[in-house]
Amino acid sequence: MRNIIVIAKNTFRETIRDRILYGILGFAALYILLDLFMARLALGDLVMIKSFGLAGIYLFGLMITIFLGASILYKEIERRTLYFVLSKPVSRRQVILGKFAGLFTAVIFTTALMAVIYLAVIFYEGGGFDYLGLLAIFMQVVEMGLFIALLIFFSSFAAPMTSTVCAVLVLFSGHLLDSVLKNSKLIGGLTYRLIKAAYYVLPNLEKFNIRNIVVHRVAIMPASVLWAVAYAVFYSVLLLFFASVIFKKREL
Amino acid sequence: MIDLKNLKKSYDGRAVVDGLTLHIKTGHVFGFLGQNGAGKTTTIKMIVGLSAPEEGEIKIGGRSASDVSSREKIGFMPEAPYFYERLTGLEFMKFCADLFGRGHSGLGRLEEILRQVGLYDAKDRAIGNYSKGMKQRLGFAQALVNNPEYIFLDEPLDGLDPIGRKEIKEIIKSLKRGGKTVFFNSHILYDTEELCDEIGIIHHGRLLYAGPVKEFCAGRPLETRFVEEVEKAEKIVHETAQI
Repeated sequence: MRNIIVIAKNTFRETIRDRILYGILGFAALYILLDLFMARLALGDLVMIKSFGLAGIYLFGLMITIFLGASILYKEIERRTLYFVLSKPVSRRQVILGKFAGLFTAVIFTTALMAVIYLAVIFYEGGGFDYLGLLAIFMQVVEMGLFIALLIFFSSFAAPMTSTVCAVLVLFSGHLLDSVLKNSKLIGGLTYRLIKAAYYVLPNLEKFNIRNIVVHRVAIMPASVLWAVAYAVFYSVLLLFFASVIFKKREL
Repeated sequence: MIDLKNLKKSYDGRAVVDGLTLHIKTGHVFGFLGQNGAGKTTTIKMIVGLSAPEEGEIKIGGRSASDVSSREKIGFMPEAPYFYERLTGLEFMKFCADLFGRGHSGLGRLEEILRQVGLYDAKDRAIGNYSKGMKQRLGFAQALVNNPEYIFLDEPLDGLDPIGRKEIKEIIKSLKRGGKTVFFNSHILYDTEELCDEIGIIHHGRLLYAGPVKEFCAGRPLETRFVEEVEKAEKIVHETAQI
């Protein structure tokens, strides 16, 4: 456990010192602040303002995660910085878990910064403290955790570009699975069976998208939130386990 | 004692290390020599647990190298090291020490190591701003954070200026005086001759010689003897291929 924390701290420190990250964060802040302008256009309609802000946090959170996570393992293998780590009493599983924890912490940190700006904008526009918006952001963070696990899984055997494309494809499919499955049921046959198989294998990321529910103030079932979190934890653990197995066999 | 028994490793079907057996006594400085691609780095990577041998056994102080805990007593400096460029020298040293669970309590010791390798004044600068020689020194420094009994150095003198080489050689000598076992790869034969008690020569993955450096040189320069030995081995390989 000690080594996982040490690697996580180091990963976090390295990550948040990246100047490009602050460039992306600057744009994110600008985008969320544009909400003030949107508020004028939408004549103060809070649904519009919240939708715009939460979507911005999601998109920029995704960009930051891809930017930070795409080459997380590859870079260490290529630059041989892992030689320093793995020649010490550290297992490859600890490296995988430490990298995940460090990167996830960095994503939580950056999302928290964006959330503060979002909450301030909503408060300024008379929406009070947006508790539900915060819940939606929390679910986005949970999704990002799963996405990081996906990136680490792919980067345990593929180059950064390949692993990013694969992870983004899974992310994209993960958000479409629900509706695709419903539509394919009408077609039936082999197509339906294939999509049903994909539905069970690929992560269902729509579980984490409660932005629409939140902005329209529809009741949220606590059980569904807890179930989604448990689902993310289970899926991430599975991905990190397979990443460890692959990485253990990888020649450095 | 470092024991390597019948080590084998191949990449894409080509044997890189082929039946390597070596015994290195505790407290000795051992120079592992060979041409580029002879199998030196692969051997050192197997010893420190970065790569697994296909066959054979490695024991360090009686413990198998495949056992992660055997690395508690090991210090390793990779060839042409790359670092986390956004960390400072001292932060990197702390990170390495923390992996042994002895980080901040030994801050003074880390600073002392940095002083020894001539990096104390640059300890708070980002590694990205270090010169090649400074990075080489930092690579050497991090290999000492756990006060290891066995120190493995892959081309430790590469990229250093004469003063840097002299300083690192002095540290290697002081490690020997402290009873440490030092194993290093090098192609700078003059320095090897000066530092080593014993040498091993590897060629195409096979061991050509292992033993005292003085016995090997027999009064002649190490470089001359090394070239002779390698050319002799090359000739045999060539003749065998023709038959």
